[in-house]
Amino acid sequence: MTTASLPKPEVAPGLRLTWFWDVPEFRRAMGLVLVLALSSFLLLPLLTLLLWAFADEWRYPGVVPQSASLKWWDWVLTNGDVGSAVRYSFMTAPVVTLIAAIICLPAAYSFSRFRFPGRRTLFISLLAANAFPKIGLYVAIATLFFRLNLMGTYWGVVLIQLVGTLVAMVWIPAAGFDSVARELEDAARDAGAGPLRVFWSITLPLAMPAIVVASFLAFIAAFDEAQGTLIVGSPTIVTMPTLMYTLVVNYPEPVGAIFSILLSAPSVILLLIARRFLLAGYLAAGFKGR
Amino acid sequence: MAHRSLSDARWREAAIGLAMVAPPIAVLLFLIALPAVQATIFSLGIVPSDNLVFSTGQHLIKSDAPTLAVYRDLLASPFIRDDLWLTIWISLLSVVLVAIVSYVLALYVRFGSGPLPRIVRSLYLVPMFVPVVIASYAAITFYVDRGVLASILHVLGLPFASPAYKPAGVVITQVWFNIPFAVLMLGSGLDGIEQELIESAHDVGAGFLRVLWRIVLPMNLVPLLIVLTFTFIGVVGSFTIPFLIGANAPQMMGVAIQAYFSNYNQPQPAVAMAVLLFAICALAGALYVWATSRSGKHAVTV
Repeated sequence: MTTASLPKPEVAPGLRLTWFWDVPEFRRAMGLVLVLALSSFLLLPLLTLLLWAFADEWRYPGVVPQSASLKWWDWVLTNGDVGSAVRYSFMTAPVVTLIAAIICLPAAYSFSRFRFPGRRTLFISLLAANAFPKIGLYVAIATLFFRLNLMGTYWGVVLIQLVGTLVAMVWIPAAGFDSVARELEDAARDAGAGPLRVFWSITLPLAMPAIVVASFLAFIAAFDEAQGTLIVGSPTIVTMPTLMYTLVVNYPEPVGAIFSILLSAPSVILLLIARRFLLAGYLAAGFKGR
Repeated sequence: MAHRSLSDARWREAAIGLAMVAPPIAVLLFLIALPAVQATIFSLGIVPSDNLVFSTGQHLIKSDAPTLAVYRDLLASPFIRDDLWLTIWISLLSVVLVAIVSYVLALYVRFGSGPLPRIVRSLYLVPMFVPVVIASYAAITFYVDRGVLASILHVLGLPFASPAYKPAGVVITQVWFNIPFAVLMLGSGLDGIEQELIESAHDVGAGFLRVLWRIVLPMNLVPLLIVLTFTFIGVVGSFTIPFLIGANAPQMMGVAIQAYFSNYNQPQPAVAMAVLLFAICALAGALYVWATSRSGKHAVTV
């Protein structure tokens, strides 16, 4: 921006306290500092973890590990607790995603297409799960589950993971249905298609990216859920994130680091697949689901 | 007749619409409203007799009429009082830092030019890809005494005091974890501010800070309030980050609640602490409702 081209009659630029903000070189330098600081802050802890997964010995003051080894991979991959946690994780998260889709997708369509009393209030009330402090909510749910004999059970864990998936599973597909041009539906109807056929051949395919993104985010939210699963599921049902609490406290760094890589693999893969859609703007709404 | 059938159609639409949104709302009532109400009643000393776990819990206060005795006992404990204060100030400090850092990033991504803002646009999303357990563990391995950061600073000849197992470590990790949501939210608000408006303000001689203070901040106020509120609620109700990175005492309420509930077999104090957190967050929620009611239709849905 060319602010320097205009004369400022009353105050000389040099006298203004914040004159440096308007110097392009200063702003470029600040940008570089910002990017360096941000990447160090965000990436160095993750890089540390990544290196630990392949380290044998890493003592102060080594900036990188003194020696590398893959021996802990063997230990993690053949460990019985790890195997059982992987099994429980993949028994719960997909089922949670499926239930969320069955419950939420009709609701998303309804919010997008139908007029009914309380529509806006109900839409916002879906945020309730995020308006409560999570740990308090989970303990409150657990007291209910004690009464219903759901503590330490598979369905108890499924239900507690379901809480965190609802917002994303309604809001994002609703935005997807909103974005389907009504003209297309009208045109199909004019050409003689019935309402169901219009839905299956026009509306649903066009809203599919949003539904896919929502399903991915719901799966990740369920898969990564640790606090509620810890309270409701343990000690019988230990998923991968809840096992992480034990591994981190009781085992040397490489074990936690390797397990972190295993645990984050599904999220990273799914998010990379969905990246194209994510950046299309569903993200802001979807993130609240977590 | 035509009028009547129109009104019939509208009734039908409303009925079908409500029926279709009923399932998720029912889940919310069952998994959020009901537990919250039940927890509040339990914390007031009214113990359901059919619940063995409750009636055999330690430190149980049983009463026929609602009583605040549970809360009185809780707040009489200096440990709990310390935990509560720690929770509040860690949450406030985290929220302020998240807001400042994220605002700078959102402004840079929106108004900066060249390749660097593009890098930042992908970079700030990284914590979103990382489960909170891993984020906490990564922070420990990096910030721990004689850890990697210590090594780096040692090579550079700089002093280092580890924030791990201290409140500072909790705050740092909370900021790390909450950046993506905050930047996304603030960025979606900034996208609505037109470049021409900024440029015309520049043309009449307004400097960067003046444009920020007089134009950008007021136009982007609601997203900022949403970020403040939801980040606050998130930090207050967090367990994993303070559990793994925080000190043993005082600890944040999330850690204390889990310990009282799962380890000490004291469900009633745990639930009462949870209700205390609900009350604190209700204050923040009131701010959120106020913020969104002031705004237009799309403020909440982004």
